[in-house]
Order: sequence, then structure tokens, then C-alpha cells
Amino acid sequence: MPSSICWKCLSTTLTQPLRHGSIKPRIPIYLPTLAFSTTPSFQLPLPAKKSSGVKVTPKKGTKSLVIKKGKFQAENRARRPAPGERKALRKRIVLSNVNALEVQGMQNIEVENMSDQRVEGQVLRLPGPIVDQLRAVEAFKPTQSWGLFQSPGTLMRRETVDMGKLIADMSGEEGGSRRTVKMVLVGEKGSGKSMMLLQAMTMAFLKGWTVINLPEAQDITIGHTSYQPLPSSPPSYIQPAYLTNLLRNLPTANPHLESLQFSQPTSSDLPIPIPPNISLARLASLGASDPEIAYPIFNLLITELLSPGRPPVFLGLDGLAHAMQDGTGYTAPNLKPIHPYQLMILEWYFKFLAGRRRLPNGGIVMAATSQSNAPKVPSLDLALSKLEGSVVTRAGQTVPQKERNPFMRYDERVMDTLKPGRGIQVQRLPGLSKEEARGLMEYWAKSGMVRERVSEGLVAEKWAVSGGGVVGELERAVIRMRV
Amino acid sequence: MPPRLNLLRARRPTMSRVRISHQGQPSLCLRLAPQRSITADEKPLPTADEGAPGPNQEQLPHVSEEAASTSNITGDGGPEIEEQGTPVDEVLGRDQASREKAPKVMKEPMQPASPTGTRSFSTSTRPRQDALTSSDDSGLQTTGHKFELPALPLAAHMHLKYRYAPVVKQVTNLLMRDGKLSVAQRNMAMILNHLRTASPPSVNPDRPLLPGSPPASHLPLNPILYLTLAIDSVAPLLRIRAQKGMAGGGVALQMPVPLALRQRRRQAVMWILDSASKKPSRGSGRGGFAQKVAEEIIAIVEGRSGVWDRRGGIHKLAVSARANLNVRRR
Repeated sequence: MPSSICWKCLSTTLTQPLRHGSIKPRIPIYLPTLAFSTTPSFQLPLPAKKSSGVKVTPKKGTKSLVIKKGKFQAENRARRPAPGERKALRKRIVLSNVNALEVQGMQNIEVENMSDQRVEGQVLRLPGPIVDQLRAVEAFKPTQSWGLFQSPGTLMRRETVDMGKLIADMSGEEGGSRRTVKMVLVGEKGSGKSMMLLQAMTMAFLKGWTVINLPEAQDITIGHTSYQPLPSSPPSYIQPAYLTNLLRNLPTANPHLESLQFSQPTSSDLPIPIPPNISLARLASLGASDPEIAYPIFNLLITELLSPGRPPVFLGLDGLAHAMQDGTGYTAPNLKPIHPYQLMILEWYFKFLAGRRRLPNGGIVMAATSQSNAPKVPSLDLALSKLEGSVVTRAGQTVPQKERNPFMRYDERVMDTLKPGRGIQVQRLPGLSKEEARGLMEYWAKSGMVRERVSEGLVAEKWAVSGGGVVGELERAVIRMRV
Repeated sequence: MPPRLNLLRARRPTMSRVRISHQGQPSLCLRLAPQRSITADEKPLPTADEGAPGPNQEQLPHVSEEAASTSNITGDGGPEIEEQGTPVDEVLGRDQASREKAPKVMKEPMQPASPTGTRSFSTSTRPRQDALTSSDDSGLQTTGHKFELPALPLAAHMHLKYRYAPVVKQVTNLLMRDGKLSVAQRNMAMILNHLRTASPPSVNPDRPLLPGSPPASHLPLNPILYLTLAIDSVAPLLRIRAQKGMAGGGVALQMPVPLALRQRRRQAVMWILDSASKKPSRGSGRGGFAQKVAEEIIAIVEGRSGVWDRRGGIHKLAVSARANLNVRRR
């Protein structure tokens, strides 16, 4: 969506900043300015009339341009795709394949078995309501092969079960449950980082947490949504359309917001009069109704969700490198690119990740890095390496911790967010074990995607081909590229 | 500088030599190796007639003997072979004392030859054929191997170069543009995935598929079969060759020519790709062409595709051109 304000007019907007504190935000009106000229236009002589009458045929021998109505024009008469139609087709998420066989005896993922050691290496089905919630937080990616199977299922690997234990532990009423876990998922391409995020969100939903997910940091920073400055110093920007969308999806993703009452008394700060005793879901849909009030309503909602007695909160973000790169697609009035930290929604998220704001009811702040479509951010790499320490690879080699390159310029804001001592865990996702790979391949075979017998030899072969159980590569080797 | 030829190292015993045991199965490489014996049937050994010298006995005489015979002819004084020395046998025959003091080796032939004692080892070799086949398979089958051995003979797709189904390989190569095989393979995988996920086709009885084809509901779970069935069903049996000037007056004569299996498939795939590339693209991104091809394949199985008409046209022309087959080529 193109920006509703052109960047050249942005300097005009800054002089009259958006004041959400007042009764109604003032919308700047841009009057069309006249081109510089000293002569009034009506004094210009009328243009000469075209000679009407008989059309003169070109003289014999002179060539005239003739455009034939050929095949090209006939093709153009076909219906053009509507704006966004082609992209919607590309980004379509299909979660079911009616042709695939139904796997007999497949369990649902539930509160009881999500932290059970016995389901390790099994593929569990995502229950229907959870699927709707995951759709609302946009946890499914079009590149994942959900569309090949009868119903969406996910492999419970060792890390998943550990995460289930953590979420179950934090949901409990015992002491120590009200802590904030901050986590960054790293791993090579196809190692299941986005899937881990999805699994964590699934388990958070099962436990009745509130989940707020920023599904793609790239969507926030590439400059595809409208933006507005906030009267703050240093300047900060909000993205009303993005916030509106986020607020619209929140009640669908978190049905328990229906039962949570808006407790804060109506104050004069509110942009619109808010009726008392409405639910938080209603509050979110109020914010989603108008982009102009999305930001203050979002703030109100977050304050409500963090007030005592509310359920724990899960904050997710995928594609961390996009949110920590040097600039965004947006431009400031001085024509310099805006830093991602100047975007309100990312700044808000990083406050929780860095621990500057706490989740008083407990919760998890989880960010996943991406390896397939990520800009190079040396600061992020260095900061993560410092947090993680030296890594031992599968081959037994030790990759030492990265050191600061004196000739490189690092982004201090990123380095500060991911500073050691802030309690941020870095979780590296290794390849699957052979038992897990076997469980996954058996699920594929039961679904009819693999026609061979899943023997120990086949599992070992594909495990080796996939670089030691890198799950994305395993999928490519077994069901995607099985041509 | 160390010596070039290390005699000590050369004499080192080789402990790891592979032995063929009587009891166990021979190693896999021996079983897989071609078993041939050239001398037995293909090239029989030369034989000699009774009394005549054998094949290797008629050799040139010694140099001195040859020189002596030459000098005998020419009259020159050549080397005297007779006077070179006295043969040992002669000496031993006439001298009793020397016969007793002769070395043991020279004494032995004088005694009658009779083997005495037994060896602890055999000096006769077993035929190799025997060693390769005379064992039971159960003994050493799995010991020493991490995974079970592959069943022999190896399946056709176990060869690296033929690991994909023949149709898939051919279509992939025809999909390829600018030599980018991996792009073509990705497109091929997308086509097969589209066939997997699309709803089962409803077969049109007017456009019969190959006889013996499985029911339509079975096709999506076996996309390679789906693809093969579509291609083979619309593949033309013949092509028309225009024989220049044969019809007289510079007019070409149409001659039907039968096609081999691969040629037929190639023609069908070219038609499919042709009509797929003319379809309008619906989405954006990289899966567009694969989707169009997959939809064309489904259209063929459902009898909606224009490729059927192209096949019908060729066959019709070929039937009418049958009469031209009598015309002789000049």
C-alpha cells in the first residue's frame, strides 16, 4: 500500500504534528499551490481551432503509421487481475490436501501431552480452533508444506518438548512462574526456527496466554504501509494501517479477550469516548475501526493486558535481521532513512526483548532469525555470537565466538538491545536426531507422500543427505524434490 | 636422501589381503565383478599332431648352435660345440667316485621317482567359478555391515544417472531453459506437488486415456503415474514427413513415419508446454509456469485440452497420407 502522505509533504506535517491527546486528531489539509507565473491564465490567447472537415488522405508514396489491431490487443482485452490479487494467490496458505491419506492414530496436541517426553519424535495434529488462532497471528508461512497433508501437524522434537515444559511451568500458579523469558532462535536455513515459533505460540494458546505476533519484520520495515510522525524526541513514527490490522486480528487470535473487562476508567486522554465495562476484544475492534485512533487504543490495550491478574503474554517476531538493519524503506523529513528503532511498533517490541519493560504477569518474548531472506546485519551477528559463546558443530568443530572487528561500524542500538547480562537466551536449533527424522518420515509415509518403505537405511540416507537432519532439507530430499 | 627403492618396505607382508574362504560368501565386489574365462571356450589351446613337436617346441636354436651350422655350410671355423666341454652325465657315467660324491640334486634323478611323504598344503588351485558360487548366502550376509545389503540385482533407479523416472527426466530436460537444470527440477517438483494437491480429475469418456489406466481417484497420490498417463495418452503415434518434390511439380509428398516411445513423449510434452505458455498467468512469483503446466496436464486427463485436437489432426493426416507409402523414394 503506498504511503498516504508523500515524503515531500512530510516536512509540512511535522510542523503540525498529530495530537492524539486532543479530542480529534487534526488532519492536515494540503491546498494545491499554483505554478509560478505572472500572467493570469485567462489572458492567454485561445488555442487555434483545428481545421475541421474532410480528412486529407496521405499523398501517394508517403508512408503513414498504421497500427493493426492484432493479437496483442486481443489479449489485452482479457480481464486484468485486480490490485493485490496476484500477491494474494502467491501468499495463499493452504492447510489441507484432500487427496492425502488420513493418518490413523494421530494425536492432537493438547495441554496434557505438550510437555510429555513420550511424544518426542511424533507428529501431532494442530486442533481446529488453534489453527484458526494461528492463522490470525499469521504463524503459517506460504513456503511451508502444510498443503500436502490431510490436516496440519507438527513434529514434537526435543526442543519443542522443552519449550512445552517451560510454558507449562510458567503457566502454573507456583512461585517463579511470573518471570519474563527472552529468547532469540538461531540456526541454519531450514532448521525450523519459524516452526519453533509456531509451536511455542500453539502451546501458549493452549495455556490461554495472550499472543501478539509480528509475523514478518520485513513487512514493517520495507516501507509498504503508511506512516506518521509522533510528537516525540527523538522522532518516532507509527504505522496506522499496520496497527489497525494487528488490532483487527487480536480478538480472533485471543478469544479470551472477550471475557476480560476493560478496567481503566475513561479519562480525558482517550481519543474517543469509550463506554465503560466493555471487553478487551471490543476495545481492540474499536481501535481497528479507524486508523487514526489505532495507536492510542493499542497503547491502552497493552496497558490493560499488562495490568495485574491478566494471563501471561507471548510476544513473537520473525525475521529479526530486518528489524535490526541499518535503515528502513521510510524516509525522515531530512530525507535520511528512518532507523527501525524509530518505528514505534519495533521500538515497543525491543523494549520487552531488552528487558527495559517487564511482563508483570510473566510471559515469553521470542524472536526468530531468518536465513533465507535476511539482510546482512553485522551488529546482530556479533551480538548473538557474544550471547551464545562458541558453538560446537555436528562435525565436532568448535566455531569460536565472534570478535568485534575494529574496522567495522556497529549499530550501538542493536548491540545495546542484545547486550550480555540482559538475560536473553540464544537457542540454536540443531538438526533432528535420527529418531525424530524417522518419526517425521513415517508420518509422511502414512500420509502417502512417501511410497518407499521407511527402513533404517532410508532414514539414515536421507538424514545424511539433509546435512545431518536439517528438517527443511530433509523435507526437500524426501517429499519436495522427489522427482 | 632416502633410497628410491626400499627393499625392506617392499618385502613387508600384506596382512590385509582378502581371502576367499570356502565357508563364507565371497565379498560383494567379487560377486558383482564379471566372471569370464577367456581360454576355455573362446580361444581353445593349440594342439599338436601325434609325434610332431608341440606348439612351443620348435624354437630357434641357440646362437652358438646357429653359428656352428652356418660355418658348417660356409666352411669357416665356427664355434665348436662338441669340444666345449664334457657333459656331466658322461663323467658321472664313467667315474664311480665322482658318482658317489656328486651333489644330492644330481643323484636324485638317478633314483626311481616315487613321491614320499605328504604336504600340509595343497598345490592345486580351485577354479574361480567354484569359489564364487559354492557357498550359502546366510552366513556372513549381515556381519560387518551397518545396514542391510541391497537386494541384487540392483534396481534401475539405483544408478546415479538414472535415479529419476524416465518420463520425469525427459520432461525436466524439456522444461529446462538456458541450461538451468535446477530451476527445471524445481518447476518439475512444483508440477508434481500441484498434481498431488489438486482434486482428482473427472475423466471424459470421449477422450479415452490409455487402456488399463488406474481410476482417477488413485492418480493424485501417484503424481508420476498421473504425468506419465497424461503424456502417453496424448502422444502421437506418427509424424508427417514432407518428402520434397515427390508429388511432382515441386510439391512435397506427405509421408507418415512411425515414432519411437521417447519421440512420441517428446512431441506430447512440447505440445503441452506450448499450450501452457499461452495461458494467462494468474499469480505472481516463481511458481507460475509450473502451475500452468500442471493445469494443462489435468486438462488433458479431463479431456478439455487442445492438445487432443493436435494429436487427432496428425493422426487424420497420417491416415490420409497412408497411400503415399507406395511411392518409391528416388
